Amino acid sequence: MGKFLLLAFRNIFRNRRRTIMTLTMVGGGVAGLLLSGGYFAFMTHGLRENTINNGLGHLQIFTADHFRRDEVRVLDTGIENWRQVAANVGSAEHVRGVAPRIDFYGMVSNGTKAAGFMGSAVDPVAEKSLGFVTRVTSGRDLDAKPGGEVEAIVGVGLAKSMNVQVGDGLTILAMTSDGALNGVDVQIVGLVKSGATELDARYLRITLPAAQRLLQSDRVTNLVVGLDSTDNTDVAYNELAPRLAGLPQQMTLKKWIDLATYYKQVNTMFNGIFLFMGVIVFFMVLMSSVNTLLMSMMERTREIGTMLAMGTPRLWIVVLFMVEATLLGLMGAVVGMVGGNLLGALLNVSGLHMPPPPGFTEPLPFKVLHVPVLMIGSSVLVILSLALASILPAIRASRLQIAEALAHV
Amino acid sequence: MTETDAMLVQVEAVSRTFPLDHSAVTALDHTSLSVAAGEFLAISGPSGSGKSTLLNLIGCIDKPSSGRILVDGVDTSTLNPNKMTALRRNKIGFVFQTFNLIPVFTAAENVEFPLLIQGVGSRERRQRVAAALDSVGLSARANHRPDLLSGGERQRVAVARAIVHQPALVLADEPTANLDTHNATQLIDLMHDLNRRLGLTFIFSTHDARLLEHTDRIVRLCDGQVVSDTQSQGGSRG
Repeated sequence: MGKFLLLAFRNIFRNRRRTIMTLTMVGGGVAGLLLSGGYFAFMTHGLRENTINNGLGHLQIFTADHFRRDEVRVLDTGIENWRQVAANVGSAEHVRGVAPRIDFYGMVSNGTKAAGFMGSAVDPVAEKSLGFVTRVTSGRDLDAKPGGEVEAIVGVGLAKSMNVQVGDGLTILAMTSDGALNGVDVQIVGLVKSGATELDARYLRITLPAAQRLLQSDRVTNLVVGLDSTDNTDVAYNELAPRLAGLPQQMTLKKWIDLATYYKQVNTMFNGIFLFMGVIVFFMVLMSSVNTLLMSMMERTREIGTMLAMGTPRLWIVVLFMVEATLLGLMGAVVGMVGGNLLGALLNVSGLHMPPPPGFTEPLPFKVLHVPVLMIGSSVLVILSLALASILPAIRASRLQIAEALAHV
Repeated sequence: MTETDAMLVQVEAVSRTFPLDHSAVTALDHTSLSVAAGEFLAISGPSGSGKSTLLNLIGCIDKPSSGRILVDGVDTSTLNPNKMTALRRNKIGFVFQTFNLIPVFTAAENVEFPLLIQGVGSRERRQRVAAALDSVGLSARANHRPDLLSGGERQRVAVARAIVHQPALVLADEPTANLDTHNATQLIDLMHDLNRRLGLTFIFSTHDARLLEHTDRIVRLCDGQVVSDTQSQGGSRG
């Protein structure tokens, strides 16, 4: 086998120009996959951490009823003894903190105009301790212990719609847990920009005590658990799930991935695009390799005839061609990996930005992650392409009529 | 053992026709020939007389349209392709007009190739390659690739490759056709020497008068038929 590898290796360099062209094509395919896949990986990784740090957390605790039925009254599927649950969960390994939340809806009015809002009530201290980022574009975040006024921060779109700025007041109206309509005047202390236009046009945030007074309930919608690392999500999940069993209210523990609908959609889309690109690269490498290997076979017709005349088994000719192609694929993969990673590193330090995607307002940095699985996958893809591409030329070579092959000019 | 049994090659009423458009060309027409082990035999004749076709058939790289050929007692018409390949690998050595060396291999690696496909161990391969190259006077050129060798040297490498696996029969198709007089004479002397010294059977096609002068037996073909079979030392068989 060593001699055949040697023969294959030397044949690869027999026609240097053609080999360089093939390696460029194969390497280009690998580099393209690494760059596009690395960029997608950066995007999804960034989106994942953004999604988690923007308030989703790594795990969330709800009552089981929350997912079984719609609320008949406000917060009737909320968590009752949430302080006890939070304390129990907060002592587990990898848990950095627990933040209670209330999701609520209602109307907001500036005295002359009203609009619907999506409200979120938080404990500012707990949110900060988990590192959740509030993108305040003007003003400040909520104060944990405000003075007399109820503080609120609103999305930039909602502020524009209601024609208010930091320091102005608004009235918010919502249904209480008893079914009555309740209202509270709030002072806007900050404007936030999430990056998602639709959310910014409806978003309003107040403190947890203010929301509980407004909704006339001591319950919370859910508890958001922050971990020391996203990689520990499964470990923490397995530790927390037993702690939630046997409580008076049946609880449900959700991982971030189960709640990150947008992330999953984007990830699925990227995977689809990447798969499509992979298929295109596969066929490009396959077809051009078939062409190259057929040309090589034609050039070596007499040599193959000689080998067959000397008694070389036809299967050996097939193996020889396939070994050559596989070696070529391997070399192309190495070229592509070196080239792709170098180019990726250059792009990472170039400071390039991509235009904001639909629904977003800020440009995204163009970064490429170096993903080992991607390197292995794209290498296997091109090596497989070359090996497959060699089958037809190899079979044709092995089926040559010896007398005709020896007379080939 | 009868005289027939002692023959290394027996060609019995062999015909070979090739289809051409709507007709057929007869390259060999009921040709018969017997070659004993250790013979140094030339097949001569004008272009198109059927020399190469006859060599191809004896070398098991083509099959006759009718008749049969026995090589070392084996009826080649009964062999399947794998057994034909094995017969070529083990019993026959080939020398081609255009040398047909593998260009990316050195002289030694080219000579080694028949041993490689026979599955001979590396130590024995090295010894036999060295001996074969020595026997053709090319030990010093063992590590040169074909493009760095002269035409005569390339053909001597081809001869070393043809004999390294100790075949029963060496077939050479116009071996001196691409050589100048000096190299052709050297090659003829070499082949003759190997024939006498090692008892190797040589069958070659040629119309090179220089080669025919050194040949023990000459079979002349014309239009696919044997027209004469002369033996310089043992008289005519024709």
